[in-house]
Amino acid sequence: MTITLPEVRMTMPARPEGVAVVRQALAGMADAMDFDAAVVADMKMAVSEACTNVVVHAYDDSAGILEVDIRAEEEALTIVVRDHGTGIQPRPIRRDVPALGLGLPLIAALSDSFELRGSVGEGTEVRMTFRSMRLEDPAAENPVTGTVGSDGRWDPEAVRDSPGGA
Amino acid sequence: MDANPIVLDDVAEDVVVVVVEGEHDIYTAPTLRERLDEAIGRGAGVVVDLTRATFVDSSVLGALLDARRRALDAQQGFVVCVGDDVEPGVQRILDITGLVPVLPVVNGREEAIRTVRESNGSSRP
Repeated sequence: MTITLPEVRMTMPARPEGVAVVRQALAGMADAMDFDAAVVADMKMAVSEACTNVVVHAYDDSAGILEVDIRAEEEALTIVVRDHGTGIQPRPIRRDVPALGLGLPLIAALSDSFELRGSVGEGTEVRMTFRSMRLEDPAAENPVTGTVGSDGRWDPEAVRDSPGGA
Repeated sequence: MDANPIVLDDVAEDVVVVVVEGEHDIYTAPTLRERLDEAIGRGAGVVVDLTRATFVDSSVLGALLDARRRALDAQQGFVVCVGDDVEPGVQRILDITGLVPVLPVVNGREEAIRTVRESNGSSRP
């Protein structure tokens, strides 16, 4: 018997209130597939960060679209977060939403695999895969480096103080 | 009733505790920033209690780091606390970003209030 694995596409305005909706849909699918709770937590965080990047970076107004594809595989979920905006930008387009700049490092640390596609003027696509059970923590392989800089943005090159304080 | 409340609790009489419950992300971060501004405005140090928060993302961390900077500039103590039953996902983002010693994050509200009282008026590290 062939089992049809679920595939979901969500399309919505790229607005802050939509991010929680994506998170809830994702959690529902992961629970149905009996994902490990720690993986679900990482997946919710990484996908939230990808959606937040669309809201903050993709469009110069709130009229753009956020697309999320969720595709189930045998023992994994692949999530694609896509926009049709200005492409990868180092600084936030929307100046009313302060950005720490920690989104991509978190996505890399929390997903089992991660791919970023896009170019200026052609939109951006973040593709993340999460396995239902893990043997290793992806954050060990792709740790978040750095700390917050004096300008309030994340500096991946900055050296963290030792726990006792330097 | 708000499922994701952010309320100011001044039961400590001097230190203001900003209690963050439920899920918080880019949608609620502006409200968190407003509450943190209000708490700093009272001038006696701030504790942010994440014990009952079930989700926080980098938008929330950004709000906390900005508030910490403003509090320290005003020579006020600023401490984040979690409880023993902190949501694993909340502890996870604090751990992998290395922000536990930076914010700083301590275990328990009483410890956080004590730490803020000790650091009020001290010079910026």
